[in-house]
Amino acid sequence: MIEKRHLLSLYVYNKPGVLSRISGVFGRLGCNIKSLCVAETTDPNVSRITLISLSDSRFTEKIMKNLDKLVDVIEVQDIDPSHSVERETMLVRIAVTEDNRADVMRAVDMFGCLIVSMSDTSCILQINGSKDTIETVLSYLSPLGIEDLARTGVIALRQETQDKMC
Amino acid sequence: METTGAQTLVETLARNGVTSIFGYPGASTLPIHDALSKSGIRHYLMRHEQAAAHAADGYARATGRIGVCLATSGPGATNLVTGIATAYMDSTPLLALTGQVRTKLLGSDAFQETDIIGITMPITKHSYLINDAAQIEATIEEAISIAESGRPGPVLVDLPFDVMAAKDVPQMKASTKRKEPSTNGWRKKDNGDHLKRIAQFLNTAEKPVIIVGGGVKLAHACTELSDLIKRAKIPFVSTMMGIGSVASPNGLNLGFIGTHGNELANHTIHRSDFILAIGVRFSDRSTAVVEEFAPFATIAQIDIDPTSISKNIDTDLAVIDDIRKALTELSPLMQETNRDEWLTRIQKKKDTLFRKDSSAGCGPAGDLIRQVQEALHGDATAVTDVGLNQIWTLRNWQARQPRTLLTPGGLGTMGFSVPAAFGAAVGTPDRSVVVFSGDGGLLMNIQELASVFHHNVPLKIVVFNNGNLGMIRQIQDLFYGSRFSDSNLGSHIDLVAIARGFGIEAERVLAEKPEAGIEKMRKSTGPFLLEAVVDSNNYVFPIVPPGRSNVEMIHEKMG
Repeated sequence: MIEKRHLLSLYVYNKPGVLSRISGVFGRLGCNIKSLCVAETTDPNVSRITLISLSDSRFTEKIMKNLDKLVDVIEVQDIDPSHSVERETMLVRIAVTEDNRADVMRAVDMFGCLIVSMSDTSCILQINGSKDTIETVLSYLSPLGIEDLARTGVIALRQETQDKMC
Repeated sequence: METTGAQTLVETLARNGVTSIFGYPGASTLPIHDALSKSGIRHYLMRHEQAAAHAADGYARATGRIGVCLATSGPGATNLVTGIATAYMDSTPLLALTGQVRTKLLGSDAFQETDIIGITMPITKHSYLINDAAQIEATIEEAISIAESGRPGPVLVDLPFDVMAAKDVPQMKASTKRKEPSTNGWRKKDNGDHLKRIAQFLNTAEKPVIIVGGGVKLAHACTELSDLIKRAKIPFVSTMMGIGSVASPNGLNLGFIGTHGNELANHTIHRSDFILAIGVRFSDRSTAVVEEFAPFATIAQIDIDPTSISKNIDTDLAVIDDIRKALTELSPLMQETNRDEWLTRIQKKKDTLFRKDSSAGCGPAGDLIRQVQEALHGDATAVTDVGLNQIWTLRNWQARQPRTLLTPGGLGTMGFSVPAAFGAAVGTPDRSVVVFSGDGGLLMNIQELASVFHHNVPLKIVVFNNGNLGMIRQIQDLFYGSRFSDSNLGSHIDLVAIARGFGIEAERVLAEKPEAGIEKMRKSTGPFLLEAVVDSNNYVFPIVPPGRSNVEMIHEKMG
């Protein structure tokens, strides 16, 4: 079966255990969650979860129905990448030496990274952008010596106003 | 006036129609048992928490109302797990109440602490931990509503000791407005259109069949379905869980499908050109090899749960709705259709099969079951255990009303029969309840004979004693070169002595000559155990061999 990347957005009640049940659905169906981002909406009782999983399309329908069945899940959306905007944020800590200082600065200029922290020996860069941007910057920075990095995972919004709440 | 959290719990249950609870006390649930003793709800003390869960399950299956069980924290809660899973697989409305350690001790590995919510997550519809006594009333009402609505299922509520002991707590109604379950397009807006197409198929198809699943009785739609079938004169089969939904002694009833079902049912499905499956989830036991299930038929499904559609088979036409509502809309669309040719073909096949084997392939055990039903004047509820005893009963007991033949089809839990029958008897005190079990299954919850005696529940317990794990033995005999490993339980156990030791009247008979024992059982006014000694070669035929399709049933041990 050809596996496709599926971007799902869920509105859920902001209660303990909800995330557990959701990951349980994926686990039980043997499906891996590649990235997951969750935060409150303007309604503090409701959170929004954006996640990416790899599965074939038939499997995705099965997953969506099973997620929809959960009592604390309010709505499940399958987001079409061609009609939506996706973004991700990454923080990268790079060791800065005499040898690589120039290259690091070049990266900052080229990709519009923000230097959010600076010390004698290292700096932390913040990169925002699409998944492609993030990966391009990563491949450029890797040879310069990455000490540590953290990614938020993708968030996305459909371009048409189908969202029932924000 | 000091109202404790526990009293609020009990009052909320009573206000929502709960009259019986099945449970076993412990340190964490003392406040609850105290409150129960001062209430109108009757608590039935069982002898194992698993039995408490099965009793609540049996109660719910027999009455159609929610079953409630209560266990203490730690081992009490974990002992409920098999019972909860059994209810989950068959979609029984169940409320499992578990004690829990004090809120400030949570996560500290306290005495008798377990994360029962974590453990039961995959086998509950939903669960709650109440850590604020003000939420008790709203949570319990919500839990009951979730357990009973849509596709029913078990809901667990974890009750910390301090929350139950808390005094004078004002109750707040749920502040969060609970949204209706999302439609997301699954609950199709074109249900009406699909129903019309289903009616068209039923009116014009040459070889239509209806499959009655467990969902019909869960939807309280048995009358509506009976009416539709009578009007439209469509032959029907059941799944194991659908047996009895439409009264069995009915000319259009062809039996139940699946690996251990009736050959006529399997053959009719195979030949049909249109199938309407109502409240059916197409489990592997019903379909056998999916690719060869109903190869010539267009398949339509009516179910309230979107996940049941196109889950195991490809559904051509789906109506996602409450079954009762859908059937009420479908009925007036049915036309007078001449089905004589199809019904004649079916009858011809039935006659050929009957000539091959008239005892439904169950030997003396099957005959005994029919004799028991006759002796009890057919007005009894039968509860099966799992294995040969289960299939013998499903093939020979005539379920004349819905909810009168109870079987743990989905999980296949041995030891279900006695405690579930206990719950059924409590829920339907006007009916006799008879248990059909094997010696293996009886041993799994044998301690419940104490509960039966204690509460004087007049169960008639028929145990088929073949000294073996019969169904496993049959499979080993047929498919593992007769290598009987770990299936011999021993024929030395004196079940009659054990029953009498629990204070229960008992008698032993040979399965071939049960008349005297059955008569004694019929005359008894209290609980009674009838041990029927069965030959270990009394198997069940025909069956579908592993990996074969429903129309490749074998009638005897090959070569």
